[in-house]
Amino acid sequence: MKLLLVEDEIDLLDEMDAYFSEQGHLCERAIDFVQAEDKLALYSYDVVILDITLPGGSGLQLLEILKNKSAEAGVLILSARDSLKDRLTGLDLGADDYLTKPFFMEELNARINAIQRRKSFSGSALIKAGDLEINTQAKEVYCHGEKIALTKKEYELLLYFIINKKRVVSKESIAIHLWGDNYDLAASYDIIYTHTMNLRKKISKNTGEDYIETVYGMGYKWIKK
Amino acid sequence: MKLLHFTTRNFLISSLVILLLTGILLYFVIRTLVEKEMIEQLDLQADMIADELKEGRTIKYPLVDIQELQPGSNVRMRETGDSLIYDHVGKDYEDYKYLRVVKQAGTSSYRITVMLTYIGWNKYYQVIFTLLGGAGIVLVFAGVLFNYRLSRKLWAPFFFNLKQLKSYSLSRPEKVHFEDSAITEFSEMKISLVELTERSRREYLALREFTENASHEIQTPLGIVQSKLDRISQMQIDEEMAIYIVQAKAAVERLRKVNKGLLLLAKLENNAYADKEALELGTLVSQLFDQMEELFLSRGIKVTLYPLNVVITANRFLMEMLLSNLFANALHHTPQNGHFEVQAEATFLRFTNSGPALTFPAEQLFDRFKKGNQHSQSTGLGLSIVQQICFLNGWRITYQYETGRHIFTIHF
Repeated sequence: MKLLLVEDEIDLLDEMDAYFSEQGHLCERAIDFVQAEDKLALYSYDVVILDITLPGGSGLQLLEILKNKSAEAGVLILSARDSLKDRLTGLDLGADDYLTKPFFMEELNARINAIQRRKSFSGSALIKAGDLEINTQAKEVYCHGEKIALTKKEYELLLYFIINKKRVVSKESIAIHLWGDNYDLAASYDIIYTHTMNLRKKISKNTGEDYIETVYGMGYKWIKK
Repeated sequence: MKLLHFTTRNFLISSLVILLLTGILLYFVIRTLVEKEMIEQLDLQADMIADELKEGRTIKYPLVDIQELQPGSNVRMRETGDSLIYDHVGKDYEDYKYLRVVKQAGTSSYRITVMLTYIGWNKYYQVIFTLLGGAGIVLVFAGVLFNYRLSRKLWAPFFFNLKQLKSYSLSRPEKVHFEDSAITEFSEMKISLVELTERSRREYLALREFTENASHEIQTPLGIVQSKLDRISQMQIDEEMAIYIVQAKAAVERLRKVNKGLLLLAKLENNAYADKEALELGTLVSQLFDQMEELFLSRGIKVTLYPLNVVITANRFLMEMLLSNLFANALHHTPQNGHFEVQAEATFLRFTNSGPALTFPAEQLFDRFKKGNQHSQSTGLGLSIVQQICFLNGWRITYQYETGRHIFTIHF
């Protein structure tokens, strides 16, 4: 996937760049309005990650420019402002998603993948991971053509692990991904543990291999290619 | 008491008092004058009788009585008084004024008594008082009416501006309009009001801008810390380091939540969520509960959601915020295998959960940063947010503790 990262905070930009490059995406960076405007005019991207507050202009203006170009690019707005108004304006202008800072990279990645899946044709709605094949439209998982019965939460968890493969996915980020932000996260760690264990059992029963690793104290990691 | 009623009432009372005093004064003044006049006439009559006596004529007039005094008899030289005489024409006793004087005619002294009727003075008084009273009442009521109408007109700009102020909210974008008046004081007040609202609005906007900036300034560094900690946790680390990283992450998470909660409270105080819609409470509650059902089940909490067929008018985001905070509160404080229920009727919404009594006074329950256990990971802002949302919607939230159950009731 070809990504354009528009973010004026260098530390955050570095982190996103490193993360998405590791995940095998091609990243380009823009640290202010003018750079982003130039890049949007010259090249096309699969997904643009857009900060709202930028030196030289607003991310929302960039969004308008992009949409006027009738580009097919997906757009995710990244904002420190948790404002309902900005969110609605952004989505009205054609953004696909909106994420408030601070966020987990895994969550950002999951959202971008979701945008990508929505944008592309049904063929690419299939994700392969090891012996598993996931149909993201039907929300079904197969192993050698045989369906694995997963609960809704187990399915979401599986997708989250696969999208963030080879990376330690923290319990906090899983909790926010599955249940949203309004609860006491600690209350959900036991359930995450239970779900993950069930998922591992189901996968290893079908594939004969354990695809997930527990990283002590931190979270879990998808180790299978 | 309303201003118009107050001024009208005072006008009424003072008018009546003045009229009454005037009436009494008038009565005494007229009475004195009339009596003086009557005595004068009686004196004249007595003088004329004395003159006739001197000329030696026999006096035989009605209402005149003449007595010859024996020398040496001791009588008053002059006295006046009132007497009643039967009038057989009018078949009634009538008031008479009499004058009794001692006059000298030649060598003998005579005591002459002359009388004069009051000529139905009581009637006159009555007429005077009726007329005066009638005129007074008409005057007073006309005055009251006039005064009321005039005041209404005079104060109209005041009342209009008051109404404007009552419905005024800083968060509304449109400017408030104040009525001008020909009265200097009112027009001065209007100018002051316009200045005041303008100034508050500027300060409010500055505050809002500050809130947004603060949000940006805090959230971005937090995001950096979080992502760097994530980066570290991807590296090869030993268990000891892992523990520190997990602790640091938990602290960042807590800070993020506190910041989020405080920003929300600031926004609530600025009434940033003004748009309302009709919401089905039942749907909202079951949607939110579906999301977190597992969390309750995993702790063995028995949940009862009574059917809620209530529609309320509120901001959707705020209502979701209110409900999820109450759910989160119940989840956090209900012990293992406890029970939790939600019920609602047209006038109230009630959340009940089992659990031990509070360790602090219940009045502090809705205070910011008030937690049962001060070291707890929760932010201590949830119930403040709930209370603030209730306040914004004009609802009242109450808390009771009964037979081992915490009961939160929102009265719509």
